Amino acid sequence: MILQRQEAFPGANHSPLAAPSLPMNAIETCDLTRAFGERVVVDRLTLAAPRGAVFGFLGPNGAGKTTTVRMLAALIAPTAGSAVVAGYRLGEDDQMIRRSVGLLTESPGLYERLSAHQNLHFFARLYDLDTTRAAVQTERYLRMLELWDRRDDPVGSFSKGMRQKLAIARALLHEPTVIFLDEPTAGLDPEAARIVREFIKELRAEGRTIFLTTHNLPEADELCDTIAVFRTRLLRIGAPAALRAELFGSGARIRVAGDAGLFLDAVRALPFVHAVTASGDVLNVSLDDPDEHNPFLVRALIDAGAAIRYVEPREHSLEEVYLQLVREGMSQEREYA
Amino acid sequence: MRKALIILQKEWLELRSERTLWMTILIPPLLLTILPVVSVYLIGVTPDEDTAQLGAVIADPSLADLSEMEVGQAVMGKQFGFMFLLMPLLVPSAIASYSIVGEKMRRTLEPLLAAPVKTWELLLGKCLASLIPALIISWGAALIFVLALRLVVLSDKVYQVILGGGWWVLLLLGSPSLALLMVAATVAVSGRVNDPRTAQQVAAVVVVPILALFVAQLLGVVVLTPLLAFIASVALAFLAALAFAGAIALFDRENILTRWTA
Repeated sequence: MILQRQEAFPGANHSPLAAPSLPMNAIETCDLTRAFGERVVVDRLTLAAPRGAVFGFLGPNGAGKTTTVRMLAALIAPTAGSAVVAGYRLGEDDQMIRRSVGLLTESPGLYERLSAHQNLHFFARLYDLDTTRAAVQTERYLRMLELWDRRDDPVGSFSKGMRQKLAIARALLHEPTVIFLDEPTAGLDPEAARIVREFIKELRAEGRTIFLTTHNLPEADELCDTIAVFRTRLLRIGAPAALRAELFGSGARIRVAGDAGLFLDAVRALPFVHAVTASGDVLNVSLDDPDEHNPFLVRALIDAGAAIRYVEPREHSLEEVYLQLVREGMSQEREYA
Repeated sequence: MRKALIILQKEWLELRSERTLWMTILIPPLLLTILPVVSVYLIGVTPDEDTAQLGAVIADPSLADLSEMEVGQAVMGKQFGFMFLLMPLLVPSAIASYSIVGEKMRRTLEPLLAAPVKTWELLLGKCLASLIPALIISWGAALIFVLALRLVVLSDKVYQVILGGGWWVLLLLGSPSLALLMVAATVAVSGRVNDPRTAQQVAAVVVVPILALFVAQLLGVVVLTPLLAFIASVALAFLAALAFAGAIALFDRENILTRWTA
């Protein structure tokens, strides 16, 4: 473990996690809509982010992700629809929502003339931590994110990675139950990005809900339990594996000695095969249930004279899933227009 | 109120390192303190025909028993004394104009607005951060003026005419309201414009009625009696409260966020 956490949710009295009746879903929206004048930026968004999960919110630039996050963090009001965040109803308990969520904004937004310690202490006090508790939490997060040695330096002298870590610390000082992270690893070097990713996994392990917006799709794939692809409207929502299967089906990738095209007919003849393509020495076979059908497939190929080198699951990257969904969304928009 | 004080503390921590801003804040009061003392001294030691006729031109009964040189000092001192009542307008605007625009420019406003802070707490913290230094500087400068004047006036009568009851009432009671009026106006404008200079310039409109009062006193149309100063102070307090309430009402979180940080 890269980051040693001393205790899970210290000071439960300060933490909204101590709230007695948290629902199963940390975030629920129903037809949440936001328009700026005539322009609808978020259109009837209905989703549920389970408690203790990392929820990836993906979409192209200008899709309305930031507006959605701002609505859910009670920074701007929806034009229509409703939402419940951390058990509090948007528009009715906005102050409680602000107390219960942590927000990492796109830009770190730190006071550059103030030191790291002063920045965190200021926000800790704003989030209703008393002076002692604020000092404890400030020290704790500065140590955890390896910034303690630079605590008295002005933030203006910090590298981008250090600022980002400090901004993450600021979002967590008050131990929120729901954390909105907007591009948390953008612009970070690989080592700093890895530290942040590990940190997100630890937050999830503590039972917090992370609402993650990112353009880094491998990162989303690694971290997210559920993914929503969004472009003004919700295009699809589900677990990454389920989305892959839904869009591309499941299958096997078989590498043989020689030309794979020679075995196409043998594979097509099998009743459980939906589709097969050959490329060089590789056969891509679409199946409903690779675990059950792969032994029969391999036997059929051997019977047809194939020398099999490798059999592996046919993986589609999250990027392929994402691009497919965004393309579908765009074509639907055109049809609608 | 506690959060307003937390914001005030943060503002002061930031202000401490703004050296250029401090120059802007401190130089005008310094000049406005030195200039009147030097002027009053010079007019008391340099006979001048025009000055000698001032007593006849200005309809101010307090000048009746004074010699020509004393009238010169008293008239000059009174007008400059009025400058100290304008000082609470000058000093805080330099700080207040940065309050919201500065946060916008540094992109620090979104995390601040995401915190559980009410608009009035945010604006009160911002206003106090400008108001308190403004009053300390203004009253400090006025104290220097009062002490230095003692050394340069020709007689006690001149001293009493320059620093009349009205002046003291307006300085001690009117100044805080005047400063708050200016700060609230600047903070309100600061939330709606793109840079601190624009905020300062637009809010400077507040100075216009005060300058009108200055001219009226110069011409002898208005004589600042303690009663008039007290009434003016109460009216200013009411206007300041109104301006602060207006600043809260005009502070549009959504508009500020979506226009500035998108």
